[in-house]
Amino acid sequence: MTSVGPSADDRPDAPETEPAVETGADAVPPAELEWRRLHPVTPLVRGWAVLAVILFMVGRQSIESMPEGDMSLATDHWGFVVLGILGVGLVGGVWAWLSWRMTRYAYDRDAVYVHSGILFRQQRKVRLDRLQAVDIVKPLLARFFGLAELKLSVAGGGDSGARLGFLRDADANQLRNLLLARAAGVETADGTDPVEEAPENAVLEVPVGRLVGSVLLNAATIVLLVGVVAAVTTAIVIRQVAPLFTVLPIVFGLGAYVFSRFSGGFGFTGAISPDGIRLRHGLLETRSQTIPPGRVQAIRIQQGLLWRAAGWWRVEVNVAGYAESTDGEQAGAVLLPVGSRDDALRALWLVLPDLGVDDPTAVLDALLSGSGDDLGFVTSPRQARWLDPLAWRRNGYAVTGRALLIRRGRLVRTAEVVPHERTQSLGLDQGPLQRRLGLTSFVLHSTPGPIGPRVVHLGDDEASRLLADQASRARAARTSAGPERWMQALG
Amino acid sequence: MTDQTGPRGVSPFDPDGIEWQRVSSRLATARFVLLGIFLGLPLVALVVLAVLLPQAGPWLWASAAVVAVVVAWSAAVVSRQVRAIGYAERDDDLLIRKGVMFRSLVVVPYGRMQFVDVTAGPLARRLDISSVQLHTASPGTDATIDGLQPADAARLRDRLASRGEARLAGL
Repeated sequence: MTSVGPSADDRPDAPETEPAVETGADAVPPAELEWRRLHPVTPLVRGWAVLAVILFMVGRQSIESMPEGDMSLATDHWGFVVLGILGVGLVGGVWAWLSWRMTRYAYDRDAVYVHSGILFRQQRKVRLDRLQAVDIVKPLLARFFGLAELKLSVAGGGDSGARLGFLRDADANQLRNLLLARAAGVETADGTDPVEEAPENAVLEVPVGRLVGSVLLNAATIVLLVGVVAAVTTAIVIRQVAPLFTVLPIVFGLGAYVFSRFSGGFGFTGAISPDGIRLRHGLLETRSQTIPPGRVQAIRIQQGLLWRAAGWWRVEVNVAGYAESTDGEQAGAVLLPVGSRDDALRALWLVLPDLGVDDPTAVLDALLSGSGDDLGFVTSPRQARWLDPLAWRRNGYAVTGRALLIRRGRLVRTAEVVPHERTQSLGLDQGPLQRRLGLTSFVLHSTPGPIGPRVVHLGDDEASRLLADQASRARAARTSAGPERWMQALG
Repeated sequence: MTDQTGPRGVSPFDPDGIEWQRVSSRLATARFVLLGIFLGLPLVALVVLAVLLPQAGPWLWASAAVVAVVVAWSAAVVSRQVRAIGYAERDDDLLIRKGVMFRSLVVVPYGRMQFVDVTAGPLARRLDISSVQLHTASPGTDATIDGLQPADAARLRDRLASRGEARLAGL
């Protein structure tokens, strides 16, 4: 298998084509860098998770053996159990300490360098002009110590970017501001770096009451409550505890999801600053995100059936560095966990201040809850009613000067907005039924994330035209897109 | 809006003015071989078992019949599928279309290309064909062209790479 492409290493001097993350030989940093270590408490904070897992497993073992009254194993071998835990703890502790010793980082004008690894050494260079987002994450335990982890996200899937953790709160903040200023290409008169935080304006806020309401009005919560009530009722009726145990996995699974919805959205604020969008949220683990301008690849505004009476919407985004993060969740992809229609439109405005239409209010109305062919929207032709009898009048798209607006769904109202210059590739597809009816679906490929923009069931000619026009619009928008270092345009 | 259910004009998967390049018919051979290995052999095994173990009842024959239907169906569509694959290089993007029942058409702008893979497994090497796959920053981009002659694949790869460089942008 051969692999060639713009990122091939025979053209190392072309800055445009270098990958955002380099590891190994290409990542050799300049000699004059000032290397730093992470905070010495790091191994303890990281190791705590391992210890917690061990304790949890031991605890579950003993709980599971309890109903049978079979405690003999635990009592007879108590010494071995303690020794085992101590041994594992010791090995883990030494490993964590070594890992801390071996990890160091440095930065210069253009990149952050991280060296790590005990047996398998890794030298990583993260280019600042390719930065997609910067997060400061504070897990619960780190908060007790006043520590924070700095996460630099770049496009590249999986384990890309860099995690500098843990640092002292103030250091993490200062480093973030410095890196963002350098990534933005901010130049000061005397050549020193501006380290104060860019000013910000709060525009979004989620009150706790609304968050609780939104979590309660969620299919998962309702299933959870119904399941628990049913199990308890059955247990009381048949006078046995077995039903309670059968429902436990559901409680754990759905409960964790429901709780993460609550804790992730707790204290949510969104702000706009010259560095881009600033989001802060979290109950136990707090997260403070900065998404620089032009890094949002697609945006979705959605309202489930249960939220309609309250008029609530949820806004999510695709950011190249966020998807498939190592923790398995798509943390950071939420621009607004729950908000009124105005909030949702303000969130959209954060990403796309100018929609490129004369009458944005009317167009956004049509996008969120309208149907039919008004205001430049193109919807499915009449024969689509056989495939989507509810929403065929609503499914459709509109094109503005800046973005493609897609709307879909009657029960779950979905609106997707993709700026023209963020289009990756385009496609059409058609199944046998669609072909019989003369319908084709249009797909827009975006970077990994929660949003997969798609216009369903367009007429054949319409889909064809949209594909051709959108390809040329995306091409035109790309050539006039802003620079990667977003402040350079202003300076 | 009129209800169009009669025969329509141009299919969206066959836009005007596009000259489609076909892939090698040896791809059909490759797919037949794979079909034979993964479905044909189990079919033979099932029939042998059914003959040897008559006491197992009609179940072995029934499953053999199901597999036989799948084999026949796949064999019937393989060559049509291969004929349906086409690609076209335009000035700014590459078009790839495929599928008979479920059709798809992908437009990949050269400027969005991150890298190109050329692959050939043992069977493909024996049949002298290889695949070219374009990758963009989106995992949704399914831009694979199977069954290219190796010389064509190499030429396409180099041309795509050079066009990509000329039109490269960030994300």
